[in-house]
Amino acid sequence: MFLGLPAMAPAAAEEADGGTVTFTVAMDNEVDSFNPFLGIEAESYEMWALMYDYLIGYSMQDMSPEPTGLAEDWDSSDDGLTWTFDIRDGITWSDGEPLTARDIAYTFNRVLDGGPEAQTWGSYLTSVTKITAPDDETVVLELSKPNAVLPLLPIPIIPEHVWSDVSEDQVKSYANEPEGGTPVVGSGPFRLVEGTAGGSTARFEARDDYWKGSPHVDEVVYRVFKSKDSAVQALIKGEVDYVEDVPALQVKALENQEGITAHFGDSPGFDEIAFNVGAVDTETGKPMGDGHEALKDPAFRFALGFAIDRERIIETAYQGAGEPGDSIIPPSYGDVRWEPPEDDRFTYDPERADELLTEAGYGTDASGNRLMPDGSDFGTLRLFARGESDTSVTVMDLFKEWLADLGIKAEITAMESNKLTNVILEGEFDAFEWGWYVEPDLDSMLSYLTCDQLGGWNDAWYCNEEYDRLYEEQNQAVDPEERVELMKEMQEIFYYDAAYLVTAYGATGEALRTDRFACFQPQPDPGGIWLFQYGVANYLNMRPADEAGDCDGIQNAVGVAGTSTSSSSGGDEGSSPWVPVAGGVVVLALLAGGGIWAFRRRATAAERE
Amino acid sequence: MSATLVAAGGSTPTLRRPSYAKYVGGRVLGALGSLAFVLVVNFFLFRVLPGDPARTLGRGRFRTEEQLEAFRATYGLDQPLPQQFLTFLKNTLTGDLGVSLRYRVPVSELILDRLWPTLLLVGTSTLLATIIGIYLGMVSAWNRGKTVDRVWTGSTLTLYSMPEWWLGLLLIATLAVGFGPVPGMFPTGGLHSVDADPGTFGYVLDTAWHLALPVTTLTLAYLADYALIMRSSLLDEIGEDYLVTARAKGLRDLQVRRRHAVPNALLPTTTLVAINLGFVVSGAITIETIFSIPGLGLLATEALSIPDYWVLQGVFLVASAAVILANLLANLLYGLLDPRVRT
Repeated sequence: MFLGLPAMAPAAAEEADGGTVTFTVAMDNEVDSFNPFLGIEAESYEMWALMYDYLIGYSMQDMSPEPTGLAEDWDSSDDGLTWTFDIRDGITWSDGEPLTARDIAYTFNRVLDGGPEAQTWGSYLTSVTKITAPDDETVVLELSKPNAVLPLLPIPIIPEHVWSDVSEDQVKSYANEPEGGTPVVGSGPFRLVEGTAGGSTARFEARDDYWKGSPHVDEVVYRVFKSKDSAVQALIKGEVDYVEDVPALQVKALENQEGITAHFGDSPGFDEIAFNVGAVDTETGKPMGDGHEALKDPAFRFALGFAIDRERIIETAYQGAGEPGDSIIPPSYGDVRWEPPEDDRFTYDPERADELLTEAGYGTDASGNRLMPDGSDFGTLRLFARGESDTSVTVMDLFKEWLADLGIKAEITAMESNKLTNVILEGEFDAFEWGWYVEPDLDSMLSYLTCDQLGGWNDAWYCNEEYDRLYEEQNQAVDPEERVELMKEMQEIFYYDAAYLVTAYGATGEALRTDRFACFQPQPDPGGIWLFQYGVANYLNMRPADEAGDCDGIQNAVGVAGTSTSSSSGGDEGSSPWVPVAGGVVVLALLAGGGIWAFRRRATAAERE
Repeated sequence: MSATLVAAGGSTPTLRRPSYAKYVGGRVLGALGSLAFVLVVNFFLFRVLPGDPARTLGRGRFRTEEQLEAFRATYGLDQPLPQQFLTFLKNTLTGDLGVSLRYRVPVSELILDRLWPTLLLVGTSTLLATIIGIYLGMVSAWNRGKTVDRVWTGSTLTLYSMPEWWLGLLLIATLAVGFGPVPGMFPTGGLHSVDADPGTFGYVLDTAWHLALPVTTLTLAYLADYALIMRSSLLDEIGEDYLVTARAKGLRDLQVRRRHAVPNALLPTTTLVAINLGFVVSGAITIETIFSIPGLGLLATEALSIPDYWVLQGVFLVASAAVILANLLANLLYGLLDPRVRT
């Protein structure tokens, strides 16, 4: 009954049908809200970036702020208390209205006024007291004290003439979705024509009057795939052109696939083993929980830094998708990252770990068991892994082995991260495995480790007054270079305090139909990811593979002429993925045969009885 | 037992069979009671779940405690539990299921959006599995021990014991992607094409085309349930005297089966069908995941990890209501079919 249907089905891989070029993305999660004041998920951030513009852009090299957004220039007063932004002229909303400085001031003021709008964006306007637009091309921010995070303001700019009808009360359930065929009004390179929060697809139409030039594709479609295996199959078939966050093993399998390019891109973040440095009740300030005494000693924690074989972690737990880690700021942020000195860079050196432990007073008894400084029994360390992550569990398994080599007993508990959060907040652990994404401005990452965040995001219960003082200082530094020095000093302090032992800088697997689309510039460049970046550069760069040329001179772009992979048609598959399928068919046949045979045996046996 | 009978006999001179109306009334009251119980349990059950929605959702986004507090305040999570419970009762009774913490849209809208994909998927599969399963069970029982029986019972059992996700993936890799000279004939996932135009006949066809593989997977997986029940209950009937009588009357084999054996053997199957119909609403999580079908099962599983209290309460309320209703219907139907149960 379905045989006649495939013919009428839209052939996704063909661009010939009506000439519409559609780029289809397979993503993991539904958009949680198209309303930029409500959404939190990474997928939503990607959609807003298609729909709206921002004051400031991000560089492709290292995600530093650059004047590729609505502001073509900016300046701050010498005391850092007044910021003036020059806004580009001649930009229009998708309904034809002009976008002016007033829209920008309106957006920021909605955030500044508090309410639901301030939930996600409030922290970017810390110490801002007044936002005005003296004319259509100028935005002025007045501050009570300097805020070093400026000019970075990653808030989507919304049209005043649309949103003035949405009161603060209404905003918390305002969907901002197309209604009755009318697309959402925005200023970005695409218009949202179809999509709902929690829906499984979203469709965007390119604007041909976008101020940076119109995109080279007509449509971008997002499809939610709840199973990575299905998403990869859809890519092989040509139903989708890009799959995000492809597991390491699948990246390797896809490497041999004709017409598909798969890679690991650096995504700025780190994974760590965190210790219970000293949980306290945030109200009374009294110690809380039951963390191990030895972990309150920085010398003990630092020594363990040499007990971890990070190469092996990358190989076993990450299947090669990542780089060994040391400090909390990944190498992609080269300019602001503090490099550990060669002598003290964590390497796998169990002898040095043993020496450092003994030096710090943690000797061993005759049979090699580690002892506390007062000679008492060391006891057992309780390690926690996030049960939903195989990587997390494997890392902790390895860590347990390495601890055993040093004469330290440990036991592992794997639990769902929701539950683990509770355990961490109660301080009833010794160590756990988790990770952080690091945003382009280090302020937020560095803030998570301040004493203020105890009981909040500071999950290692780390508190160092010197670190906190430096945090305040960098947060208000007027001179950018001075600020970088302060931030590096903080990284150094945290490194030697070793509340986190950074295990890995993860990499994200991505797969792309390079036989159909080209010109994706990695971010950070080189080595970075192709989509779900900071900014929308690649939605403007991407074009059909046969029109790639030199990609307007982007050197490291995927599919630049000369480096492009073979351009086979979507239907022509290599043989490798058929091995598992063929295997499956054989197993299926065996099972079915076996089942019949077993049943037959039982049936005849019953008859014989 | 006899004492109560005597006492009952004392008060009413003649022992009468309870009327059907009374039976119905009792069952309906019972169903309403169950629903009220579920309503209350739902609220507290999910509050015991570990995790804090503001933290799960806000990791890496809400930087300060103030931002977390603001989120909790917006969605009423900062209220004391008893007060949240009262608000919940009041809202539920007025038909308001709350706002999803994750999607920030009314839960009732979310459930309605997700309900029909699930109904289509699981409903169609259950229906197909029932019809095919009953037929296979009937054929197997009637030909017990013969090749037909062995083949059908063996293969339905094999399919039953196979993991659904694996069967689904296998179908995707073969029939959706294509193998060897055979091109891919079905989509790998989703409920309809992105550019399909709702309300047209093409849209219906498109949806059917998308559902072909998931429905096939589920039907194959469910088959054994019905086939085995039907087979065993028909086997019970086959030994009965009334069939011998029927044959003695000179009825042909097919008539004996259709008119006498099968109607009696259908009773246990009816119960199974009625109860399973109730579970249609709760969805088929694995299949919804593999084929990316935005159904209720998927909605609930994902809500668990946050936990998104309002969505969980809403989905469980709808799912329990469906099961309770299906049970009620089964009871009422049984009361009609078999007067002995009206006690």
